[in-house]
Amino acid sequence: MKRSIVTLVSLLISALFIVSCTKDSAKDKSLEQIKAKGYFVVGLDDQFPPMGFRGTDNNEIIGFDIDLAKEAAKRLGVRVEFKPVAWDGIIFSLNKGDIDVVWNGMTITEERKQKIEFSKPYLNNRQIIMVAADSNITSKDMLKGKIVGLQLGSSSENALNEAADLKKSLKDVKKYENNTLALMDLAAKRVDAVIIDEIVGRWNMAKKPGAFKVLKEDLGTELYGVGIRKNDITFKEALDKVLDEIKNDKVGEEISKKWFGENILLK
Amino acid sequence: MESYIKYLLDSTIFILEGSVLTVKLYAVTIIFAIPFGIILALMKISRFKTLRYLISFYTWVFRGTPLLLQLFFTYYGLSIIGITLQPFTAAALTFVVNYSAYLTEIYRAGIESIDKGQYEAARALNMDYFQTMRRIILPQVVRRTIPPTCNEAITLVKDTALVVVLGMGDLLRSAKELFSRDFAITPFAIAAVLYLLMTTVIVYFFRKIEDKYSVYE
Repeated sequence: MKRSIVTLVSLLISALFIVSCTKDSAKDKSLEQIKAKGYFVVGLDDQFPPMGFRGTDNNEIIGFDIDLAKEAAKRLGVRVEFKPVAWDGIIFSLNKGDIDVVWNGMTITEERKQKIEFSKPYLNNRQIIMVAADSNITSKDMLKGKIVGLQLGSSSENALNEAADLKKSLKDVKKYENNTLALMDLAAKRVDAVIIDEIVGRWNMAKKPGAFKVLKEDLGTELYGVGIRKNDITFKEALDKVLDEIKNDKVGEEISKKWFGENILLK
Repeated sequence: MESYIKYLLDSTIFILEGSVLTVKLYAVTIIFAIPFGIILALMKISRFKTLRYLISFYTWVFRGTPLLLQLFFTYYGLSIIGITLQPFTAAALTFVVNYSAYLTEIYRAGIESIDKGQYEAARALNMDYFQTMRRIILPQVVRRTIPPTCNEAITLVKDTALVVVLGMGDLLRSAKELFSRDFAITPFAIAAVLYLLMTTVIVYFFRKIEDKYSVYE
């Protein structure tokens, strides 16, 4: 009798063990779900040129990341939809399921990695300091007692937080809803400098020649990746695969040349 | 539990730091908009046609466009043509001009609601226009317009949150910052409580004034 109980218990335990193991190793259904749905939703700040912004034709969202996302969708055999969301709540929107990916020049940071997963990086970026063209500020030290602008919740904010000494020396940090507003205030000289992604800063400098200049010193380099939910493992794998293809063939090169004039995609 | 209380406390302090701006902007707007509203209302019912048209045009524009748009215009728009205002100046200016427009119409309606017989009685007592207004009409107008003014005063508390577009740190922005840092809803709950506290004070204050002025009726 006693023996049969032991056997029963051990059987039960092993059964539980097997069940839990198969559960762990079972693939999640994210890729299937997206294929069944027929599209995935890209969340973005639609005032983030050149990565994603409203073009002059039909007010449609265009940009480097938009072209990449469309190409990736094509290769995955699904459609893609773009949904503008507030940048400071974008990770929340992703985990809540309002959007399926964040594809919007998103910097891969340790902080974000605790909450979401990232695709393989596809671009290099620097955090640069922009000042007005006629400003006499030439180094980080000269920002002492000055007002600096940046986008709320951006990696520029992270970069400044990490440069604690610099942050302490500033008079004030003004945080804007998007980069465009920060740069407008820089042009109006209400802030003395703006910390911004190099990719975005350079684009704006090309748009407004002679208005701004970039300091030689920067606040570090970083990588752009596509933000994905942590559980969407199969989707991430599929996306990484097509991203690798795009990065290494003609189409990727063309998209990059279209927006940046050269191929800057990471190999 | 203890760490949660500490978190709650730290968050509240952080959000309170932001609400300094909210309170400042609120005070400036109320202090200027109410007298402006009364003066403009008197101008709007004056004999001078041009003046009446001018004020009508003003209330039409400022009540007819979003406050957010007006903020954008004063801050970013004017800077393009060379008028660079500091954020607080731009915000305070826009709020005063916008709220004066609403209050003008409220006080105009209040003045017009007073019976014509009272003007005639005042004239019979040999009072001039300003005496009539100050002694007879305006005290009654104030009494009658307390509820709509209180409405505007409450709306103003919440409208101050619009200044985030100027990159200013107010109560709601502080809460948003904590939200994007911690991914917790708690900061928003704290912000809601703080807004409610502010409106409670305002409602209480207006109730007191109402009691005081009720002697006129």
